[in-house]
Amino acid sequence: MVALLVAGCGGTGGTPDAEGELAVALQFPPRADYAFEADDGARLQSLGVAETLTTVDDQARPAPMLATSWEQQGDSWRFTLREGVTFHDGTPLTPEAVVTALSHIAGVEAPPRAIRDIGFAIEADGPDAVRITTDEPDPIMPLRMSSGNLGILAPAAYAGGGAPDYLRSATGPFVFTEANGTESAVLVRNEEYWGEKAGAARITVRYVEDPQARALAVQAGDLQFAEGLPQAQLEQVRSAGAEVVEYPNARTVPLQLNQARPPFADERVRQAVTAAIDRPVLAEQVLAGGAAPAADLFGAAVPWGASAPPPGADVEKARQLLAEAGYGPEKPLTVQLWTFPNRPELPTLANAIQAMLAEAGIRVEITVGDYQAQEPEVLAGNYDMYLNSRSYLSDFPDAASTLTSDYTCGGSYAIDQYCNPAYDALIAKLNGTVDPDERQRMFTEAAGMLTADAVGVMLVHPLNTAVLRGATGFTPDPLQIAPILPQLTPSG
Amino acid sequence: MTALLLRRLLVVPPVLLAASVLVFALPRMVGVDPARAVLRARTAEAVPDPATEARVRAELGLDAPAVEQYLRWLGALLRGDLGHGYVSQNPVAAEVGSAAAVSGLLTVLALALAAVLGVPAGAYAARRPGGRLDRFLGAGTIAGVAVPEFVLAPCLVLVFAVGLGVLPAVGWGDPAHLVLPVLVLAAYPAALAAQLVRAETAGVLARPHVLLARAKGLGEHAVLWRHGARLATTSVTALAGMFVSGLLGGAVVVEVVFGIPGLGRTLHRAVEAQDLPVVQAGTLLVVAVAVLAGVLVEVLATALDPVQRGAERAR
Repeated sequence: MVALLVAGCGGTGGTPDAEGELAVALQFPPRADYAFEADDGARLQSLGVAETLTTVDDQARPAPMLATSWEQQGDSWRFTLREGVTFHDGTPLTPEAVVTALSHIAGVEAPPRAIRDIGFAIEADGPDAVRITTDEPDPIMPLRMSSGNLGILAPAAYAGGGAPDYLRSATGPFVFTEANGTESAVLVRNEEYWGEKAGAARITVRYVEDPQARALAVQAGDLQFAEGLPQAQLEQVRSAGAEVVEYPNARTVPLQLNQARPPFADERVRQAVTAAIDRPVLAEQVLAGGAAPAADLFGAAVPWGASAPPPGADVEKARQLLAEAGYGPEKPLTVQLWTFPNRPELPTLANAIQAMLAEAGIRVEITVGDYQAQEPEVLAGNYDMYLNSRSYLSDFPDAASTLTSDYTCGGSYAIDQYCNPAYDALIAKLNGTVDPDERQRMFTEAAGMLTADAVGVMLVHPLNTAVLRGATGFTPDPLQIAPILPQLTPSG
Repeated sequence: MTALLLRRLLVVPPVLLAASVLVFALPRMVGVDPARAVLRARTAEAVPDPATEARVRAELGLDAPAVEQYLRWLGALLRGDLGHGYVSQNPVAAEVGSAAAVSGLLTVLALALAAVLGVPAGAYAARRPGGRLDRFLGAGTIAGVAVPEFVLAPCLVLVFAVGLGVLPAVGWGDPAHLVLPVLVLAAYPAALAAQLVRAETAGVLARPHVLLARAKGLGEHAVLWRHGARLATTSVTALAGMFVSGLLGGAVVVEVVFGIPGLGRTLHRAVEAQDLPVVQAGTLLVVAVAVLAGVLVEVLATALDPVQRGAERAR
């Protein structure tokens, strides 16, 4: 899946230099000082500093990390720990250390979603295992444990009682030696690492929010790796000899349609909007190839995502459906479209959608406003169309959370106001389904139901980008669980 | 001068008190719930659980009446306790202090460079209004005023970092990282200073007492600096006072483009995250610097201007 979409990951060639250093730019600075429970709580995992009990394979199934095996026993799961792992402070990984770490994160004011509201409890179970118990038997505990929010630090890191001290206290291939707020961080290779050692001896991570600045810094040779470059910059960095990697992102841009009131309470109108929008054109022309056209909620980032491209526009069909619903030249349909500018592609897409719907006879009035002000209104159903951007995975590669919050009757983020008992019944069955393959089949089925009911129009799946110049070895992970930096090796 | 300074400093506390009311009230008037914003930043939850939201609101003291919240905040402020950031949970004093130190350094260097470039350029251009140098500098200063930072910064990076490879494109911590940001920040005040000095000096050089000084045999260099440009220093000082607070807290574009952990970027990020303690402390600091800079500029202007100095002595 990934291989098909990766243009190349070899940097600029050259001889790998395992004793060399790298400077890299990441897009988002750590707003909450690397706190595990925060929005960017998986940061220590992506840097290759902190590790979790499990990770996932390329089919989004749980795989060993600090735990080598696990089994469900009634309402608990027993995780057997890897032998011979030591923290960066030299202390060994023990069941007690894991209990200290995960009890801490479970006890914070707002615990991470991966373990919230499930009655999470953990205890040591013998000399080499921990037992995690929940209120109800939990089918996906091994997947939950891959969340970067559940990184495990040495017991000494928690001794202060407040936020854990992440410097020199994790188990990963990099030792976090220096944190300079939201500006930079310094990582040094962990020579005692239990697995494959990091490719660079030292990495300076710079947090550069401006995409143009990241691109220029790569061209100038200040950085050997940068993530998140806009399409407009890609040719420029390619011409400077940088390798560009584009890979799927577990995110969808949906055009949400309010089904709680006319006109979108009528499925024919929703179908008309779907038919009138040319998703391949949006992805390839309007966004200049910076996204893949969406056939349904899930894209190529996950194994259960749709692989067939969506159809192009069928304006005639759209007009016909509108006519059946009672709209036409005598009774034109005018709707409001709201969106927000934080994601720059959204206003651009809104303008293109306005033009496409005008072809079908729908007049669209666009309002670009503040998301935080819009949110209560759209959640209350006081809108027509809402152009949103939404990650469909929540901290670990399982879609049950998004499918529940966004599309079940009364879901906490049910902007479309969709309510279908058959869909709810399908989602309810997920609670008792342990087998990852069966769960993934059910995710596909749920997405199919949403498409069949025209619950909004899934427009595009944005692509992630990364560039290398003077480094090799980048392996993109659309699931964003595997660390980015340990594979990078300086090249001459 | 001391009496004038003391009189002006007496005005500072009430001004800062009034500013503190505004700084406290304005973020609360935009209608966004900080508790929800904090939870969103800390948990990534699109719609936080209402019980958690209420608990966080109570913990942060956001459920108390606004007046009580203000008095509590003001009391802590007077004790030197700026609290902790809602999002980062780090001490605000350290967060704002380190960012202000970074921006302070940039501000001082940019204004010094602007003075070093702008004042002589304006003075020499004034020697022969309409001459070749005057026309050349006139075009240069128009460009300095007109070209925005978000254009100038990438252009300089393209030339000096990408093209010539002599300076870093982004980063902070090395003296080389200062060069391009300081050049960008200095461009606008330098151009304004040059225009100001040029206009004032040209006016002074045309006055009868300067002609008399020339007739007495005073050299051109001495005429220029003793009679011409010296009088423009009052205006240039006032200009510097205006720029201090703007550069300290408002150099967002330059700080973002060059990845500099300054006050502008910190405040911008805090506003986005509704991190009220950081927003309030940072804004108040910028206001305090602006007020103090205003006082100093007034005192300096009086000290430099013989007419004002005499009037002050006569009080």
